Amino acid sequence: MKTRHLKVSLILLTVVFFLLSAQPTLAEKPIVLGCPLSTAFLYGWAAERGFKLAVDEINARGGVNVGGTKQMFKVEVIDTRDLEPGVPVSEALLAVEKLILNKKADFIMGGPVRSEAALAAMSLLNKYKKVSIVTTGVLTPKYHAMVAKEYDKYKYCFRIHGEAKNLVGEMFANFGELKEKYNFNNLFIIAQDVSHARGAAKVMKAVAEKKGWNVTGVEIFPTGATDFSMALLKAKKTQTEIINIWMDMPESAILLKQWYEMKIPALPFGSTLAAAEQPGFWEATDGKGEYTLCNVVNAGNAPSNATPWTMKFYDAYTKKWGVEPEGLGTSSSYMAVYVLRDAIERAGSLDPDKVISELEKTDIMGVYGRLRFDPKSHQVIPAKDPKEGVVGSILQWQDGKRIVVYPKSIATGTIQLPPWMGK
Amino acid sequence: MTLPSEQQRKERIDRGIKIRCDSIYAIMSHRELSYLALPRLILIAGMLILPFVVPSMYWQRVFTISCIYALLAISFDFLAHYVGLVSLGGAFFVGIGGYLAAIANTSLGLSPWLTVPLASLVGGGLCTLLLLPCLPLRGVYFAIVSLMYPLFMARVIEALDILGGTDGIMGIDSFSNRWVEQYFIICILLLILFGARRLVNMDIGLVLRGVKDNDQAIRASGISVTFYKSVAVFLASAMGCLSGACLVHIYMWSGISLFALDFSIIPIAATVIGGSGTLVGPLLGCLILVPISELLRDFGTLRIVFYALILVAFIIFRSEGIMVYGQRKYHQFERWIKY
Amino acid sequence: MEILVYGTINSIMLALYALGFAMVYGVSRLPNFAHGALYVLSGFITWSFLNTLGFNYLLSIILAILATGVIGALIYQFVLIRVRGMEISEIMASYAIGLAILEGLRYGGFKGMTYTLPAFISGSTEIAGVPVDYQRLLVVVIGLAVVALLWLFTRYTRIGLALKGMAQDERAAMMLGIDSDLMAVTAMGFGSMLAALAAALLLPLGNIVVESGYNILILAIAVCVVGGLGSWMGAVLAAFLIGFAQILTVVYLGSHFQMVVALLAIILTLIIKPSGLFGRQKELEERV
Repeated sequence: MKTRHLKVSLILLTVVFFLLSAQPTLAEKPIVLGCPLSTAFLYGWAAERGFKLAVDEINARGGVNVGGTKQMFKVEVIDTRDLEPGVPVSEALLAVEKLILNKKADFIMGGPVRSEAALAAMSLLNKYKKVSIVTTGVLTPKYHAMVAKEYDKYKYCFRIHGEAKNLVGEMFANFGELKEKYNFNNLFIIAQDVSHARGAAKVMKAVAEKKGWNVTGVEIFPTGATDFSMALLKAKKTQTEIINIWMDMPESAILLKQWYEMKIPALPFGSTLAAAEQPGFWEATDGKGEYTLCNVVNAGNAPSNATPWTMKFYDAYTKKWGVEPEGLGTSSSYMAVYVLRDAIERAGSLDPDKVISELEKTDIMGVYGRLRFDPKSHQVIPAKDPKEGVVGSILQWQDGKRIVVYPKSIATGTIQLPPWMGK
Repeated sequence: MTLPSEQQRKERIDRGIKIRCDSIYAIMSHRELSYLALPRLILIAGMLILPFVVPSMYWQRVFTISCIYALLAISFDFLAHYVGLVSLGGAFFVGIGGYLAAIANTSLGLSPWLTVPLASLVGGGLCTLLLLPCLPLRGVYFAIVSLMYPLFMARVIEALDILGGTDGIMGIDSFSNRWVEQYFIICILLLILFGARRLVNMDIGLVLRGVKDNDQAIRASGISVTFYKSVAVFLASAMGCLSGACLVHIYMWSGISLFALDFSIIPIAATVIGGSGTLVGPLLGCLILVPISELLRDFGTLRIVFYALILVAFIIFRSEGIMVYGQRKYHQFERWIKY
Repeated sequence: MEILVYGTINSIMLALYALGFAMVYGVSRLPNFAHGALYVLSGFITWSFLNTLGFNYLLSIILAILATGVIGALIYQFVLIRVRGMEISEIMASYAIGLAILEGLRYGGFKGMTYTLPAFISGSTEIAGVPVDYQRLLVVVIGLAVVALLWLFTRYTRIGLALKGMAQDERAAMMLGIDSDLMAVTAMGFGSMLAALAAALLLPLGNIVVESGYNILILAIAVCVVGGLGSWMGAVLAAFLIGFAQILTVVYLGSHFQMVVALLAIILTLIIKPSGLFGRQKELEERV
């Protein structure tokens, strides 16, 4: 009789699943924003929250005006698990297809988070002719390079957050200052073995040497490596003053903790250092994360006054979710919804080609600066001044708080060196 | 007068009609013929009609992916239950086949109709060559080493940054038409399924099964065990590479995540659920597992938890699998008889 | 010199990961693919005791170790014991349970990188001119102590001897009256406790994330395979071998080959000498 019960319960379960996946009908058809995100990871859930915040605000004010009728936005999030190791990209692509075919998504937002998956999804978006704005993860310059190279094939893809090449430029702006102020000369680069980090490390080395820096070492660590001792020791021995870190894997916490304990006299200047972006980082490391710098790619993910909208967004997010904007993906996802609304309203319809041409003409003063897309590569245009383009934010952990130290136009503090560096 | 200690036992015997179908007597009448042919015809007809019957394009896609996993599952079942090689490295075949197809398509410009056969044959050869040193191993040792191969390949590609590195190869052509895509895979799947079933009953199949049962005896008969094992691995890896090649053409992309653990685990799970030993079981297992996995997406992260728990439940309670159970019920019946 | 110091540290870390797996496999021939999951689970249990319930740190660690041991024993008793002897089913079942635990943790909100355990002591010192932080030194000291205690345990206590007997020859052990099922459950419990101990020592070095479960499993398998499945001392020696190999690779070849080393070690060992360094040479059982 045990097996009978098992069979019956299996059948019941199947019926329940079918019922659950049935679509409820709404009075007026909403505009569905399909969001394939890795919701178990920071870059994923940060984007999800950004989307939901924006959608709630817009819907509360009546929704989107599509050529005369008002329609609401609706967010459909599917967990792609693509940031997990061991999950094939075909999972993420299947999730995108589920959103398009099953959930009838009109626009794909957020995008698969991992660069590999996002690149693969570009062909898929072309096949189904769906406009997509990538807002988190995906730092590879290849994304917008592909759009520029084959415009007709990939014109559906937009990216609204900074990418690895910008980040390199921002790094050097800061390094130059530190060189002048403290006479730093030695640079050590540690990168994760993923294509954007490795590519960035190579570029960093080349540019650094041109600018007269002494690159004391470049170490690439595979995803999942747990021991960074040799790299840190090498840095210490060669009197490195700045360690440039390009790692978004959780093991970066091991690196940072060891740096603090061994009191290595070098400044940990991270680029996308996911572990250090979150407000919870301070408690998580018992304060040992102090002096770590990281780049949250877009302003608004850390407190600053880039534009009048920045702190409004910051406070609204904190109020809704009970935690401050946590890292890459938050402000960009929020703005993506507004940018989309703006484009739809100007186009007067949801037709992909019309929306694309209106998106290319976007010019809004958003949370992190003036938002414009390059019409050929669909990449958002960066600048050092929020009035001209989008600005990033480099923050440093000082005394338990995330202090924005770059760009100067919005900085609320300056870079501090750890006391054991003696300067 | 019934004795107080009268005992009954359950007896399981072949159905009458099964016995009447033995060898030449199968063509005696329509009844015998349909008893044998009907399940197979239902399977073939079902598979061919399914793309029309499913509710939407998305489900057609899910069905195609299930067929790809089914190819992998059949190759796993073939190796595990007919040759005795438990291979936890299905992902290795998928990855090699996928990359070969991608390279053939982007660098040599061949169309999918050429790259798929090329990838499966060349891939099969390549995989067999790479697995050759491990073939003498048995049991859990072979299982572990085959598990490590795809992980190792993924890391090597990552470390050496060849073949597109972590970004992968993009811009691969897809099949010309949605329907072509689906029916191509379904037909290949059915051909391979029935071909494999035929193979295990031919002479070479007997040798392979002998290798599984008692390889020392085979060796004592003067037959080279390693040779036959490599033939079997060639066939299985050709199947795996075929599925990998089809996958890259469906998704128009190939990358190191083709070596992902999922491609090793799902075929094994499907075999366990569907019934190992029958080559049809893994097919059914995939047709059940993949759609369930998609349906469970609504549960978000809990999906994998349910999936894993269902798998454990099947392993413990119904470890013979659906197909074995089904076959037993179809061919035999049980009744109580007195001692 | 630093190669020596950090090589030792890395090796002891690997040995700690692998001991639990080696014990379970040695006694009951069960490859416990849920090992990584138990490691991560005990980390999160410790964190919960420490932060949510506010217990003392040492108490949290001890409770977490005991809890993990109990969970491991329960998994064995209710699930794995039914598939004992069928290798594929064992691997699949333990892997599926590990998967369920890890994903369940993720669902329960344990995601992101902010879950950490505090280090036991802060600060660093120099050993022969090489700077090492105290936590890592503590890991080495406690790790060596664990290995020594394990050796003494399996030599001088009844339960230890019974486990060792089961590992050597199950039938002979049963003839001597050792209950094979009970020993298998105990072995699993101990293996899980060793995993929890490793977690307690090593997690304060970084943070607790679900993804590390998979990596830990691969490393444990690598060490056990090279050392010989079934031999505990072999596992420790293999840990040193692989640990030093990794450090040497980082220094001389390039750090991005770190993970390749472990996988290559497994493949080469299985091809050349499947029973590993110290496994019992059963030629006919391992290759044709």
